[in-house]
Amino acid sequence: MSAEKKTNGGAANADVGTKQSFRDFLATLDHAGELRRIAKPVDPRAFSTLIAQSPQAVMFDHVEGYPEWRVAGGLVSTRKRLAIAMGSTQNDVAMRFEEALRRPIEPIMTNEAPCQEVVYEGDTVDLTTIPYPLMHKLDGGPYISATCVVSKDPEFGRNVGSYRLMYRTPTETGIDLVSPSDMRLYYQRQLDRKRPLEIAVAVGVHPFEMLAASYKAPINTDEYAIAGGLHGAPVRLAKCRTVDLEVPADAELVLEGELLPIGWSADEGPFGEFSQISGDVKWNPIFRVKCITRRKDPIFYLLQMPWENDWLCAPVVEAAGLQALRNASVQPVAIRAPVGSCGYWTLIASIKKRPGEGKNALLALLSVAEVKLAIVTDDDINIHDPDQLDWAMTFRVQADKDVIIVSGARGKHVDPSIRAWELGKGGLPTTAKLGIDATIPEGIPKKFYTRLEYYDFGGTKLGDYK
Amino acid sequence: MNSLASSILNALKEQPYQFSELVDLHRDVAWRDFLTAWGQLRAAAVLARDENGRYLLKTDAKG
Repeated sequence: MSAEKKTNGGAANADVGTKQSFRDFLATLDHAGELRRIAKPVDPRAFSTLIAQSPQAVMFDHVEGYPEWRVAGGLVSTRKRLAIAMGSTQNDVAMRFEEALRRPIEPIMTNEAPCQEVVYEGDTVDLTTIPYPLMHKLDGGPYISATCVVSKDPEFGRNVGSYRLMYRTPTETGIDLVSPSDMRLYYQRQLDRKRPLEIAVAVGVHPFEMLAASYKAPINTDEYAIAGGLHGAPVRLAKCRTVDLEVPADAELVLEGELLPIGWSADEGPFGEFSQISGDVKWNPIFRVKCITRRKDPIFYLLQMPWENDWLCAPVVEAAGLQALRNASVQPVAIRAPVGSCGYWTLIASIKKRPGEGKNALLALLSVAEVKLAIVTDDDINIHDPDQLDWAMTFRVQADKDVIIVSGARGKHVDPSIRAWELGKGGLPTTAKLGIDATIPEGIPKKFYTRLEYYDFGGTKLGDYK
Repeated sequence: MNSLASSILNALKEQPYQFSELVDLHRDVAWRDFLTAWGQLRAAAVLARDENGRYLLKTDAKG
């Protein structure tokens, strides 16, 4: 596979990059009445429990023991706030994301890097200077959850993903690299050569960079270009200080270093997963931090599990579903990754159906990542209304004809039903997948689905009878 | 190893603990100090995990 579509850096330096930063998004939330500001100093052990009690996103303006820092969290814990981030309606976030996938914009390099206003290298590197939050009762340690992790492979080029970091020592973290991903592949390739993999971790970036990092893009796709497509302008990148990588110049905090070539051998977790479950101890590599850069007055982004992760997952999985449907020549009308499935494991779509396309659509949707339940309806069903969905599944489904089960597909560790704990260190799980075709079956005349209508409905008005 | 790290170590000599339980035992300590002490224990490579995710001391570290 060629890496030629991936950039090794960005276009020439220019001032045309996006002005949308993490701080701009905080200002947008504030303007919308969706950001609660707390002036009283807060201990990092209390961030998550306070965010969990707030209907709004939260900004802690003072942090006990960390006078230079502020902390923000719960930013996209609702679909409403995600829609604010996307600049779309709540039902259109997937279409908005898909549009950006179709119109990627290459990043640009800049020498103006707020993320490098303060630099710690060598003996001055100390992760305890960051307000590392303790989030959940059963976590194996404090975690950084809102990460854009950049890595590079000589053949495949740059990759940006999101991986959690568990505090271990002032210069080391655990990193969850269990699931299949491009960076896991990059790490494995370096591990085969007994070499470390250089990475850089940007924290406190705009949700567009987070969404792009969460998207399972083809390996030769630059996630920064997807983020650019969302912004409608190039992402401004800064060259890292100690590794040959690029990070969003407007990030609040950057950690530079390398994944040690030790394989999946260090304990990591549990961590409150996006599956809304406490998780388990995993065996993972170690990230050794060689350099910390940050703004002078940094804002730490605490991505509150599970809801922020779930709502960031949903448009990414939904957009992948839309693309899969279009690739299968099926015309989608609407799509939804319900939060009950953590925005990840279930896809529900309505389509303009031609004969046989209910099944084609199911096969397409079940090919998306680790989606394990897909439901397809006709376009007369509002899939955002659970009652209409239930109605379609009741009257348009015959279980012996309209249900597909696929065994042995790729699964995800955090789903307890796949028994990942039996796999051993570094093992990859499989899962069964279920598809339900809730479109009108072929051969049944549409007249049998004619909805009842009240006589003179719309003609006779209740308001006229007081 | 500083006195706080020794205190955590002594607790783990008695029984396994979840990380948050160790934090609870030292709740009056500044968070950054706790992280520094925890880092010392990690660096000393004396920690193991049980099937419930609790921390315990490696057999050869119990002294």
